[in-house]
Formats: sequence, structure tokens, C-alpha cells
Amino acid sequence: MRSRSARTLDTEVLIIGSGAGGATTAAKVAAAGRTVMVVEEGPWVDPDAIEPFSIEEMVLKYRHRGPCATLGAPPVAFAEGRCVGGSTEINSGLWHRLPSYLSDEWRDTYRIEHFTDDVLDHYAEEVEQAQAVSLLPSAPPMSSAALERGATKLGWRAVEFPRVFKYDERGRGVKQTMARTMIPRAVEHGAVVTPDCRVMKLLRAGDHVTGALCERRNPDGVTELITINADHVFVCGGAIQTPALLQRSGIRGQAGLGLKVHPTIKIAARFANPIDHGGVPMHRITEFAPSLTIGGSVSRKGHIALALSDSGADFTDALADWERVFVYYAAIRGDAGGRVFAVPGLRAPIVSYRLTDADLSRLARGLIHLGEVLLAAGATELYPSVIGGRVVRRVDELASWWDVVTRSSANLMTVHLTSTVRMGEDRTRTAADSYGSVWGFRNLRVNDASLLPDAPGVNPQAAIMTIATRNAEHFLAEG
Amino acid sequence: MLWFERQVVDRLVSTPDPRRRADITSHVDGTIAAMPEHLRAAIGAASLAFGGWFGVMRPRRRSPEATTPDPLVHALDTSWIPPMRQYVRLFRSLVLFAEQELP
Repeated sequence: MRSRSARTLDTEVLIIGSGAGGATTAAKVAAAGRTVMVVEEGPWVDPDAIEPFSIEEMVLKYRHRGPCATLGAPPVAFAEGRCVGGSTEINSGLWHRLPSYLSDEWRDTYRIEHFTDDVLDHYAEEVEQAQAVSLLPSAPPMSSAALERGATKLGWRAVEFPRVFKYDERGRGVKQTMARTMIPRAVEHGAVVTPDCRVMKLLRAGDHVTGALCERRNPDGVTELITINADHVFVCGGAIQTPALLQRSGIRGQAGLGLKVHPTIKIAARFANPIDHGGVPMHRITEFAPSLTIGGSVSRKGHIALALSDSGADFTDALADWERVFVYYAAIRGDAGGRVFAVPGLRAPIVSYRLTDADLSRLARGLIHLGEVLLAAGATELYPSVIGGRVVRRVDELASWWDVVTRSSANLMTVHLTSTVRMGEDRTRTAADSYGSVWGFRNLRVNDASLLPDAPGVNPQAAIMTIATRNAEHFLAEG
Repeated sequence: MLWFERQVVDRLVSTPDPRRRADITSHVDGTIAAMPEHLRAAIGAASLAFGGWFGVMRPRRRSPEATTPDPLVHALDTSWIPPMRQYVRLFRSLVLFAEQELP
């Protein structure tokens, strides 16, 4: 049911989306004394109330309750957070600063101003202090140590990635999501956060955005229309929702083009002994980075069942032995690109992504390297996420996987989506300037994963928050 | 869920407990309903087409004691038409995850 009357609210700065980009922007701008309103499409869920990676978390915090997929061959499954805190509420919390070779490449290719290592390191340090970025205070869990052990045996480089985790005196870590850090900080400085509020479109007057038209679901089930008038608008809905909102508002140009992801292929590995299943391994094998990274995934019993079933082989016995099974992945930085396209009348945009043949070859190589390191780590049985891929028990059997990674057999997924509103001064390649101002508008900015000109090859949260802090400071400096 | 979707889910759920079967079916129903409209429409169209096809072919239901795969699920799994295989994989994923993770 929808109420007929539209309420009108006023704010100086409207921030649409409360994930890594939106929450960082809100905290920075509110702390500077500006009047800030944050609207979030999803609910505000107490971060302590729900078990991480549980089915309840999927239902409450994921867009579409979890599964979505790109159009293309093969389709790539992806997930987005849809709650206060966005995808930081559902990710692994791994932290990786933008490598300097990438910032150099992006600065030169897209002509991004003020994008040197010194500048980015300055903002990264600021964010890292706020987020309690840290290494483990004790020995890694078995699932993570297995990667390190396998890499050492093969002579490959493996590193423990820091995470946004705060540890108590007993060594128990709590992930520092936006709902725990930047959102409370923004609220403390007067920001108003409105959950369950979907922005239907931006309101425009010439080269000016005057605010947004929203629909809000109230706790009584009634949906009300709200018009929010704002002097400045930041769109921070992530690489899928941000370009979709711009398009719904009649702003197209480059917005929605150039979607980048990290296509990921998996193996469910069975070990001789039980293995931990409480979290995501913090070790990554960086021997082949940035084109290929190897790591571990969430491995609750449900995730293990899915990974085992992806091979198409009989997995009854392995599932019954699930406490000895863990899911690992190989993720690539591919050549391929995709597109986000908002279709009038549909709430969800269409997302397309087409892998190149070279990407498929990289994935096959990644799968075999992943198999090598898992066998070296002591795995006894490997189930690849490839229909028809044989269950492997020995190194000499891995070669059989070269030919089975095809468009019709590979089961791929990703959780990193970027680059749909690229930033820079080269207007032929970008949709926003070096600080996220959308071309053609004086007061409309984007400040999220969409701005990253390419996939960073690692968890993009650090890059998103660093760039968001830099851009928010630039906005404040403009007066 | 559409009739054929319910048939497939019903055959994929492994537990005989009626209450748990209902919970799993309800979860799959909710997840399918929450999908983006274009994906839901594509799955719905496939359900109508495959439902018509298998309505003619009439694969029998597996008896509870049988150790062989359900004939309908087996037919979808081994079909020469890729969308049929993808279709049953999608529903198997949803059912499997719910079976393992629902409290």
C-alpha cells in the first residue's frame, strides 16, 4: 500500500547509499559541520544480531536475498549488500591498499588529477586508523595456514592480508563494518540515516540536481513517497545501482559502461583432518598477482554443498564429511567488460558481462594452480566448480582440467564489481571528473566502487574508502 | 513458484519431514520471487516451456526407497539442451543451500 501524499525533506548534502563509499563520505562531510542525510534502500540491521554468512544474513542483508547473475556466457553470479553498511556488512573484511602500479596506470590512462602514491597513502592511513586495520594477533586458522603451507612447498609467494578487524584481549576479532564505524561517526556529527528508503530518481533542473524522489517502506507496511531537496547529492549505491540510478534519472553518457569484475572459479578441497569453518582465510597466494590471486571462501556447510555440486560429480560422501572440506578460489583480472542497463519499468537493472577466450584460459590456469597448491597443502580430493571436471586426487590428474573450463561448463562468481562511472579528466573514457563530479552537473557526485577505472585485482574496499575520503575532502575544500 | 518449479523443487528436496520440506520450499519460493524481474521472467518462461515438454514426456516420480535419481531431475540433468541443465542446477543450488543452512 502506498500513501498518496509526498512528504518533503530538506538537507544540505544528500548521500544515497551507506556502503564503503557512502558511509565514508557521510562521516567526513558530517564531521565538517555540514547537514547530511543518508538514504539506504535496505534495512538497518544490528551487526551483532545475525550470524555472519548465515542464511538469515542473506535474506536480510543481501540484495535479491543472495543470488543474481550477469547475462553472458557463462553467466557470472554476483552478490551485493543491501542494508545500512552495504557490502561491508557481508564481505570478508580483507584490506589491500591500491598498488602503486595500478594508481600510476589509472592516473596516466584516465588522466586522474591528484592521484599519486603520496596522496593516496595519506588518505589510506586516515581510513586505516578509523577501521582498526590489523593482522591476526595469533596463529592463523587451519584453512588459512593450508594456503601458506601449500605455497611454501611450491616456492610461491603467500601473504597474510590485514583485515578490518578489531581484536579483544582474548584474540576474538570483530569485523569493523560501516554500521560499526563510519555510520555511527556520521550520526554522532548530526547525520540523519534513513533506511528502507529507495531512491526512484534524481530530480533535475538544467545542470543542477535539486534532490531525489524516494519511496520509503514504513514499519507498518505503508510505502510513502518522499521528496528530498538537497544542495549537493552524492550517489554511492555501488557499481550496479549507481549507474542504474543515473540512467533512471536520464543521465547516461558513459554511466553503466565498462563494468569490471574479478571472475572467480572455485574448488571444494577435502582434507584428511577436520578444518575450521568460522570465517574466511586471510592468506592469499600472490605469486601470480595481479592477473591471478588465490584465496579461500566462506565455507559453511551450505557453501560447501554448493561448491561440491558445481562439479556435477557425486558428492554425497564428501558432503557427509563436510567438516574436512573447505572452499578455495582463483580470481582473475580479466580483459572482459560488462554493462549495466536500467530498463524503464524494471526495478533491477540488467547486468551483462562477456568473458573473453583469454579470460577463460586464465581461469583454467588459475584452477590448475589452485589445485596444485591445495594438493601441496595436503588436500586429498578436489571438486572443481566446472561441470564435467573430474574429481582430482593427484597432481598428474590436474591437466585434465585444461580443456573442461568452457563457456557452458564453468560455474563462476564474483563479489567485486567496479568501474561503471569511471573517474578522470579524459571525457571519452569517463563519466565523472577526477573527484567524482558527474560530467555536465555542478552538484552531483559519485563516490563509490563505480569510480575505480578498472578492477584492482584484490578486495576493493580499501581503494573505495581511500578515494571516497579524498573526494569528500575535495568537496569540502570547494566550500 | 509456478507449477513446474514446485514439481522440480519437490523432487530435489531430500528430507521426508513434511515440515522441513515446507520450510525449504518456502525459502526457495521467496528467493525466486526476490530475483531481478528479467531473471525471474526468464526462469518463468523456461518453467512454462519445460513444464509443457515434460507434461508430454511424463517422467515418473521416484519411489521413496529408490536409490536412482528422480526421472524428471535426471532428464533435466542429462538434457542436450543447455538451458535445461542450467535450470535444474539453479533449483538444486537453492534447495541444497536451504537444506544445509535452514535451522
